[in-house]
Amino acid sequence: MSDPQQQQMIQDAMKAIAQRRPGRTKLVYDKTKRTIVAVAEGAQSARALNITADDADMFAVVTLSSRWLSDRWPLISRDRAIPIRLSSWDDGDALTQYDLGVQPSPADIEGTVILGEGASPPDGIQLSIVRTDDVRAADPSRFVAPNGEVHRALAWRHVNGHGTQIDVAFVDVQPALATRRAGILETTVLSDKTVLFIGLGTGGAHAAIELAKCGVGHFILIDRDRLSVGNVVRHPGGVSQVGRFKVNVVRDLIREKNPDAEVSIHPVELNYQNRDAIMELVAKADVVICGTDNRPSKLLINRLCIEANVIAVYGGAFRRAYGGQVLRVRPKQSSCHECFVAAMPDEASDVEISSTSDAADVAYSDRPVAVEPGLSLDVLPIANMLAKLALLELLADKKTTLNVLNRDFDAPWYLWLNRPEPGTQYASLPPLSESSDEMTINRWYGVYFERDSDCPVCGNFISTMAASYGLDLASLENLPSPPRKKD
Amino acid sequence: MWTTEQRQRLGLENAILQREGFDQFTVYWDKQNDTYYASGVTPSNSGRNYGLHISIPSGFPDERPSMYVTEPFPLLLANGNRVSSLGTSHDMHTLAPSSNGLVQLCHWRPARWHSGIRLQQVFLKGIIWIEAYEQHLATGRPLAEFVSTMAERA
Repeated sequence: MSDPQQQQMIQDAMKAIAQRRPGRTKLVYDKTKRTIVAVAEGAQSARALNITADDADMFAVVTLSSRWLSDRWPLISRDRAIPIRLSSWDDGDALTQYDLGVQPSPADIEGTVILGEGASPPDGIQLSIVRTDDVRAADPSRFVAPNGEVHRALAWRHVNGHGTQIDVAFVDVQPALATRRAGILETTVLSDKTVLFIGLGTGGAHAAIELAKCGVGHFILIDRDRLSVGNVVRHPGGVSQVGRFKVNVVRDLIREKNPDAEVSIHPVELNYQNRDAIMELVAKADVVICGTDNRPSKLLINRLCIEANVIAVYGGAFRRAYGGQVLRVRPKQSSCHECFVAAMPDEASDVEISSTSDAADVAYSDRPVAVEPGLSLDVLPIANMLAKLALLELLADKKTTLNVLNRDFDAPWYLWLNRPEPGTQYASLPPLSESSDEMTINRWYGVYFERDSDCPVCGNFISTMAASYGLDLASLENLPSPPRKKD
Repeated sequence: MWTTEQRQRLGLENAILQREGFDQFTVYWDKQNDTYYASGVTPSNSGRNYGLHISIPSGFPDERPSMYVTEPFPLLLANGNRVSSLGTSHDMHTLAPSSNGLVQLCHWRPARWHSGIRLQQVFLKGIIWIEAYEQHLATGRPLAEFVSTMAERA
């Protein structure tokens, strides 16, 4: 359509329909031109088109932070115009203030915010902030300046001197996100909480993002791995993130869900050489989530969490994710990971082989072990449970709707089965539809076992062992020095 | 830096070795470097002497210690090749050798190690390995045929 006036009329009519306001222009189908045309009210028209609000919601939209504009109000009041950088998505259909989010857009463009109508710029995006009292409170283009004056924002995209109107939406990110959580959680109840994540594979990464959605305010992320192509079918990070450290990928995903979250990242290996550095991070956490499938790292984290008196939640899938498990450790109150290993060695050793390094750890010799990762949808129940148990611990000293769950989640260990895997003790489980009281797939089972009072980590292992051998710890002889080497 | 609990544990490990018939092995403390190891020479049923050496890592007992055969050196296969040339081998229950060519025995694999395992048990596995090794020398068959992977119980 070449007639700019006709085009503007159609746009006004569509906008009025989209905003559910009666317009002064009707849209009709012109058979001779074989196109839609706008007809002024009262004019004779062949046939009006039945266009609904959904059909009409086709305008591009520019989204910006009202806090951002408020912060710059003195500047724009003085200079009458300020620059704005916008992320451009979907060929310019969505324009988002560049620093509103974390993920980069395929392209970004510069625009100008002006106070008042202003003159049309040659080309580009222009947002006009116009003083008015004729704007509904729910109108997303409404902006209230710090001095209390109400404004409406109008935006145009100018190309070759011709302007096309764009919708404007102001957002207050954090209050808007908090409102969605408010049904269950107090808006700021988790903003002062810190969660340390050890291992950001599929389970750890999903749990981190879930807790970000819940409003956890502080995250510490430890993982030395980079995202590989093979990870993408399960990990929340996508193909465009391949090669990045997982801590960076997950930090960005967390901030996409909770822009105010503080995230500290540590792409380091977890071992006894950096024990002290890891201990410093553990001591800062309210809860530690351990998502590694590697026994030595779990034992190290277990030791540090017991020493620092920090609650830890361990999660992992069984081989090929036929099921999974979650262990919650409340230091000196419930079984620790070492107690678990002693009580249930087979379960503690049943891990998913989801990478070549996992395979190497399990194979330990020259006999290869196949990499057999499970499906993401079979890992996610475990990730959700990790996040859920961590959430309950974070809320332990708060009054929330979720406190009622404390009676349901009082076991130290939880078992989940995705399928009756052949070759396991669960191979002959009854069908889900036929069982009312027997163990089945797709259900969490809380399993109780006692803390080992003689545990080497959380118990009295040394004194008990000494007593069992009739030895008195106080009278043990000093260890000898190494014998001199023979010449 | 060793914790008081680690030092106490190592003192107790040594006392158990001395009391429980494993007194051919001793836990040593190198004061100058503040490091620990356990070692000793033990005879096989055939009367041949074998030196076993356990390096105590800084994360002990949570971190798995490595065990090496220090003598005879070099340790040979039935075919005359060095055992260390196999590197990690399921057939011979060995892991990567030390930088100076000592054979490392697979006692507990890293994925099965836990803090409740005592040095006495580790040396016991070393002694069992030695007997199986001598059967390998006598028959030429893989050591794994004489000592299967043990069931995992705490």
